[in-house]
Amino acid sequence: MIKMNDFIFIMQKRLKLLIVLFSFLVIILIVRLAFVQFFQSDKIIERAYALWSRNIPVEGQRGIIYDRNGKPIVNNKLAPSIGVIPRQIENKEEVARFISEVLEVSYEEAYRHITKKVSVEMIKPEGRKISLEQAKKIIDKNYKGVYIVGDTTRNYLYDDYLAHVLGFVGIDNQGITGIEYIYDDYLMGDSGNSSYYTDAKGGALNQLYGVYEAPTKGMDIYLTIDIDLQILLERVLENTAAKYHPDQILGLMMNPKNGEILAMASYPSFYPENYQDYDQEIYNRNLPIWMSFEPGSTFKVITYSAGLEEGVFKLDDTFYDPGYKMIGSTRIKDWKAGGHGLQSFLEVIQNSCNPGFMEIGERLGKERLFDYIHAYGFGKKTGVDLLGESTGIVFNLDNVGPVELATASFGQGNSVTPIQLVNATSAAINGGVLYQPYVLKEMRMPITNELIYQNKPKMIRRVISEETSKIMQYALESVVAKGTGRNAYIDGYRVGGKTGTAQKAVDGRYLDNNYIVSFIGAAPMNDPELVVYVAIDNPKNVVQYGGVVAAPVVKEILQEALPILGVAKQIDQIEKEYRWGLDVKYYIVPDLIGKKRNELPIQYHYRYQYYGEGNIVKFQSPAPYERVPEGGTIMVYLGRE
Amino acid sequence: MKQENRINVLILTTTILLTLIGLLMVSSSSQIWAEFKYDNKYHYFWRQLVFAGVGIVGMLIIAKINYQFYKTHAAKIFIGVLFLLIIVLIPGIGIVRGGARSWIGVGTFSIQPSEFMKIACIILVSKYLADYYKDVKKPISVLSILGIIIGVFGLIMLQPDFGTGLVIIAAVIVMLFISGVNLSYFFYLLLVGLAGITVLIISAPYRLERIFAYLDPWKDPLGSGFQIIQSLYAIAPGGIFGVGFGNSIQKYFYLPEPQTDFIFAIIIEELGFIGGVVILVLYATFFITSLNVSFHAKDLFGKFLALGITTIIFIQFFINIGVVIGLLPVTGITLPFISYGGSSLTVTLLGVGIILNISKYQILE
Repeated sequence: MIKMNDFIFIMQKRLKLLIVLFSFLVIILIVRLAFVQFFQSDKIIERAYALWSRNIPVEGQRGIIYDRNGKPIVNNKLAPSIGVIPRQIENKEEVARFISEVLEVSYEEAYRHITKKVSVEMIKPEGRKISLEQAKKIIDKNYKGVYIVGDTTRNYLYDDYLAHVLGFVGIDNQGITGIEYIYDDYLMGDSGNSSYYTDAKGGALNQLYGVYEAPTKGMDIYLTIDIDLQILLERVLENTAAKYHPDQILGLMMNPKNGEILAMASYPSFYPENYQDYDQEIYNRNLPIWMSFEPGSTFKVITYSAGLEEGVFKLDDTFYDPGYKMIGSTRIKDWKAGGHGLQSFLEVIQNSCNPGFMEIGERLGKERLFDYIHAYGFGKKTGVDLLGESTGIVFNLDNVGPVELATASFGQGNSVTPIQLVNATSAAINGGVLYQPYVLKEMRMPITNELIYQNKPKMIRRVISEETSKIMQYALESVVAKGTGRNAYIDGYRVGGKTGTAQKAVDGRYLDNNYIVSFIGAAPMNDPELVVYVAIDNPKNVVQYGGVVAAPVVKEILQEALPILGVAKQIDQIEKEYRWGLDVKYYIVPDLIGKKRNELPIQYHYRYQYYGEGNIVKFQSPAPYERVPEGGTIMVYLGRE
Repeated sequence: MKQENRINVLILTTTILLTLIGLLMVSSSSQIWAEFKYDNKYHYFWRQLVFAGVGIVGMLIIAKINYQFYKTHAAKIFIGVLFLLIIVLIPGIGIVRGGARSWIGVGTFSIQPSEFMKIACIILVSKYLADYYKDVKKPISVLSILGIIIGVFGLIMLQPDFGTGLVIIAAVIVMLFISGVNLSYFFYLLLVGLAGITVLIISAPYRLERIFAYLDPWKDPLGSGFQIIQSLYAIAPGGIFGVGFGNSIQKYFYLPEPQTDFIFAIIIEELGFIGGVVILVLYATFFITSLNVSFHAKDLFGKFLALGITTIIFIQFFINIGVVIGLLPVTGITLPFISYGGSSLTVTLLGVGIILNISKYQILE
């Protein structure tokens, strides 16, 4: 039996324990509360703000694309987008009517957008990248729940120039082709947000002000392209297109010393801004790297340099061309009926004599010739940092018989891309080293211009010796001065080059009267700074020879390009072989400055044209020791003493 | 030895202060939902004001009624409330709200019998323990009390209202502990409890996950973790001083029904850590003083009655705040004095009235 007092004693003892327990539990609550509020709070608060905010995304600005000299080629222009927070829109019918008017969408479509049960709705696609006028109308109305986001879109400062290299971007400013695609990760800016705080049902909250988290800019890219050369190239190609109505034209300019691409063009071109308006074939085919065809005589540079390097002939060795060469029982004709007769090997390349090259190929043998073909980079992508490069096709050595060896020697059978050909020719004349071509010069931070990455020339291998390369320079200069390339001759610039006339093959058969005529030119040949290649696919109303059609085009380009590059004229070039009535003769202009008018030497080959008053020559054009063509004019500016 | 003869002022003050804080916070936290649902910002406030008024007046009246009255009528009270608890289960009589058939009423006025059952049970158990304190060590008496209470728990679970059932069982166990029942019984009880839980978990392993979901609410942010996450989103930004009265963001539809189970989260958001600690200290004062009343009560019945009612309020308080601050799994228990709710507020205040009456007769050495 328990007594009352004992019972109460135990009870009170346990009550005291309970008071301690209750107090302890309250302290636990306080500690836990402090823990949540002061130790876990950062993470939770961040998540809470994320929950309360409605973000209208703002795209990052893409980096600017500059040319090698820092001239902007592509930058950005403002293109606002419309976002709505449906919950906040008060008069849905009115706003829908207004939006349908401004954006030219149907009322139903607009109404669907602004009544959608989402926190933030972007009006896509009609409300993306709208004009500034449209945006102004919307801002003026200032409807609750309708927001303007300052997106940007690409701005092409040179219209359609360089389109194939640059590529284009999609509606979200994502790179789709070209440089825009390849360097998308760097060009792309991080997107930011326009944040608005709302309650759980999307209504605006007054407690918190919205914040604007600015998007970041992407990195700027500097190309190896010289936009002035690019403009020149494309303008000349356009003129050529107007003249000959070819199926397509391509042009490529490269610095042979390091593989930098200076200009690259395809015709027909397109406006990157409206790429949707063009066939995929147009904007996806960057012809200088995409097109692959049998190069014709331009390929002889490869055979010739291989033969020189291997010592199978010397420039002054002689060769007799009867107008054909027998390869086993097959008779392969020269391009010139009757042949070139007895000539030196220098004349073989000047005349582009096919039997001569078959002879070189034969002397080399297929192994050695194809070793050089591979060493020059054919049959493999060059690895240029552009999209859509082709590999070309080089014969499998096992399938090369005497006939294939013979045709390959003068540029038929193997198929190559223009960039492979330009790169290989560069190696032949730059001292013998093959480089990897590239278009990215450097990357810089926006605003600060801090250098992030600088591309360096990448040497692939030595193909021929420096001595052989020197001989190649001389041989190619003489092709222009004295041979088939004479239409590319420029007085004062030591131009070298090689013509090419390739028959187009479709399904294993050559087409009649359908050629790709081309010319590869370089200057100055004692120290080449520039290689220019132009190929014209199926020109109309003209003799389809590279020397006739393509060489003058390259000449026009070189003539303007070399001053842009700052290449000085020289006087000790190989003299042009004068063909009576066909070629223009040049005369050296005497120094007239300081002489009296009536004491000037009498000339029969050119005229004086006087400007100004007075008796003393103050200035003359062309300058002293420049050259003037037969029948030309020297402008003489007179003054008084 | 002398008798007090007047009610305990500290209990009265803390009770009224907590009720007033509750009124203010119900007004602030419920505004947004009230406007949305009833087009009247003060819908909940006015109702809570009426409940608080009725409750406080009732409390003061009860404080004048000698608590021996309940000892005399303990059985009648219990059976009366038990009757209500049974008829509330009958469809057509019981009103379903929030998935539980817990209300009986006419029009907008309704009561929750389970709330009243808390007090009825405490009265019954107190009477039993006071009358049979000599037999309290016998297993039969412990088992008979537990039997009745588990029966009541079962009835309440038919609504279902797990929270209230849990509070009653826990309070009775505390009373048995205080009455001097051998500690070994509690050990066995623990074993039985653990065994029960083990069976539940083995039969459906997902239950374990559910119970412990509150420890990492972000595992299932839209399901089991939803309420606790929304609660933490209110608490963390509150900081030391809070965002200010009326400035809560989480009450803007983020926290479901912020005026009931999660009102403490809005309090912390608006009044900060300081506000929270002040309220916790008020509660602690109330509990310690009330347990003191039990300690000094003139008879065993008074001791058990004060103890039981205090324990009921404490358990609700501890579980509610524990849930809000992510210490305990979500159970659905309101915060005494502060949460919106007619039955719970008035029953709590009436219970305090009983304690106040007991305090009148306490014996001070």
